[in-house]
Amino acid sequence: MLTNLEEHDAIVRAPDVIASVRDLKIHFRGKRGMVHAVDGISFDIRDGETLGLVGETGCGKSVTARAFLRLVQTPPGVYAGGSITFRPRRVCDDCSGVGCRECDGTGRVAAHCPACGGKGCRTCGGTGEETVDLLSIPDAQMRALRGNRIAMIFQDPGKALNPGLTVRDQISEVFLQHRTAEILAAAGVSPNDVLLRRQASQKSRAFEKMLLAVPPLRSGRNRVDAALDTMVADALAQTQIPNPRKVMDRYPHELSGGMRQRVMIAQALACNPDLLIADEPTTALDVTVQARILELIRELQQRHKTAVLYISHDLSLVRRVCDRVMVMYAGRVAETATSQQLFRRPTHPYTRGLLGALPGRGAHRGRLAAIDGTVPELVDPPAACRFVGRCPDEVAACSRTDPPMVEIEPEHAAACFVHAPPGKAAATRPVRTP
Amino acid sequence: MQIRDYILRRLMVLPLLIIGTSIIVFVLTRVGGSPIGIYLSHEMGPEQVQQIRERFHLDDPLPVQYFYWAQGVLSGDFGWSGVSAAPVTAVFPSKLAATMELAIASGIVAVVLGIWMGTVAGARRNKWPDHVIRVVSIAGASLPLFWFAIVLLIVFWVHLGWFPIGRSDPVIFDSIAHPTGFYTIDALIALSPRAFWDAIWHLILPAIALGYGATAIVARMMRSSLVEELQEDYVEAARAKGLPERLVLKRHARRNALIPTVTVIGLTFGFLLQGTVVAEIIFRWPGLGRWMADAVLRGDQATIMAYVMFASILFLFVNLVVDVVYAYLDRRVVLGE
Repeated sequence: MLTNLEEHDAIVRAPDVIASVRDLKIHFRGKRGMVHAVDGISFDIRDGETLGLVGETGCGKSVTARAFLRLVQTPPGVYAGGSITFRPRRVCDDCSGVGCRECDGTGRVAAHCPACGGKGCRTCGGTGEETVDLLSIPDAQMRALRGNRIAMIFQDPGKALNPGLTVRDQISEVFLQHRTAEILAAAGVSPNDVLLRRQASQKSRAFEKMLLAVPPLRSGRNRVDAALDTMVADALAQTQIPNPRKVMDRYPHELSGGMRQRVMIAQALACNPDLLIADEPTTALDVTVQARILELIRELQQRHKTAVLYISHDLSLVRRVCDRVMVMYAGRVAETATSQQLFRRPTHPYTRGLLGALPGRGAHRGRLAAIDGTVPELVDPPAACRFVGRCPDEVAACSRTDPPMVEIEPEHAAACFVHAPPGKAAATRPVRTP
Repeated sequence: MQIRDYILRRLMVLPLLIIGTSIIVFVLTRVGGSPIGIYLSHEMGPEQVQQIRERFHLDDPLPVQYFYWAQGVLSGDFGWSGVSAAPVTAVFPSKLAATMELAIASGIVAVVLGIWMGTVAGARRNKWPDHVIRVVSIAGASLPLFWFAIVLLIVFWVHLGWFPIGRSDPVIFDSIAHPTGFYTIDALIALSPRAFWDAIWHLILPAIALGYGATAIVARMMRSSLVEELQEDYVEAARAKGLPERLVLKRHARRNALIPTVTVIGLTFGFLLQGTVVAEIIFRWPGLGRWMADAVLRGDQATIMAYVMFASILFLFVNLVVDVVYAYLDRRVVLGE
């Protein structure tokens, strides 16, 4: 990890970067060979920004997102290389998470580097802030980040909520895993009470639950439950759910799609995470509800200044929601730009194809544009541009070597020999390629 | 409230079910001819035979005989068991207790062990515990009970002598009172560890023989539904919340995997009841199954009727319990629709 950080000095110079992916490779063991689902991608997520991750089905965007939580199933998945460095925050001491001037209203401040206690050392690259490599930390540390510092909203809330548990049960789990001390404090229980502490961290076994159901201990249990209920209700209220105390007792199937997604969002934002991963959060919803859910995510994000990795295949949504966009194709980054740049000056032929496929005002009725061909097989791919075969502007070099990422203008880079030729601009700095 | 209504509604079917099955079984037992043989002996003269015919109304038409039987049942008289040479009602309770003790013991073995095996196998899919459990459960589902029971008997009773057969040591059995008829429970009530151990020791072999098949069925169902549940999005969402794998498995996946398993457990109970006949004969267990087998072989109609009535009522209750448990586990199920 130490060498990684020295190599990737970007993170030191840009302290506003919350997570930084370098040369990430995720492969899947298939019957016919290694499928290179994600094949050496690098990008940064800045604190408080919304980064859009765009691409068609099977281009590796969901796998990239799951890598942040290390949720890719291994096997068949293999983390074949690269790193994801992440700087977790902690609850602000001055306002205990409410938001104050000290923490810029976010309720979070940077966690001190455990090696030097915030003074700055080699481990943290002199910043004094804790940095972790999400792909190499132990499981227990990863679990402490999941749902707490990095949270995820799933595509279909009807499937991502457990049908057998109430809304209360499901949201309270997040607090039970990550906010035990706060629950006990709110309940007015001493943190030394072993039985209740185990209850407030979801560790109680069957016999402990039986003990806690008997009168002398029951009052303590009820106080913990009441404190937990308040926290759950507050989380739900944030997402503008009317009557949160009633919704808490419902099962997911009793709620509408929009309500379920609100529950999902409440669950994800319960612990005020630093990074929210939204995996096509509106795809499964009615069009009328989509806008309201997007609005809600946007508003909560601005209030908490949470960074959002927004995954979508819908460019028109991305344009509305995201600050920056990264276009992925077949496990590679095709182009990165700010939203305006991408729509004003799309450079990579794949991006142009995607934008061309959007039915716009000028398009003739009855004719829909499409990119010819399909995404290539990613089994042991050759060193060549992945878009070869579908690209209208192909040249000989495209099938011989991989095009590197080349900066076209500040914030805007693309991997294309034709439209972003390496060495054309003097200022071009190839982003690391494997 | 809702569940109580549902249970009451289901219980209203009970009288119809009993009348229907009793008519069918009554007729079927007569296919082989008159049941008079069971009541006769060699010393009887023609007058005595005629007396018996009159006593049991055997000269009347079949529907009339059925009504005599039904009338008796309604007044608590299930007839005379020729096999036991006693009234059915006098013999039935102790036999019932013996059979239920065996069926419940093997049912508990099947449910607890089956769910545990299925969970282990499903959670460690395609690793060695899964392979071991697969072999064990395929064997359990395909070995015939009579063969497996005899093998157990030969190995553990004849050769090793580790376990006894029968239900009890008569001396120990008679040393305690039997208020419930369940030997294990009576031993606990009497606070007699010696009797309790005797009861358990006698139970082990027949319970294993009888429970093995059911265990296998439950385990296989549990494994496959757990594997299916573990693929669901909500399992990944639970991991994304930071839950340890133990809770992801127990609190999220296993609970939903139990839903189809419970249905199978309900069906398995019928399988167990059927199995008691074989297991009781092989292990000389003095229960309903063996009694019933004797009765069938000797055409003892009163005994057969009593057994079938009991079995059909029991089946109804088991299905009722399954439905209620099902509704508890799967919140999307609305009872009575």
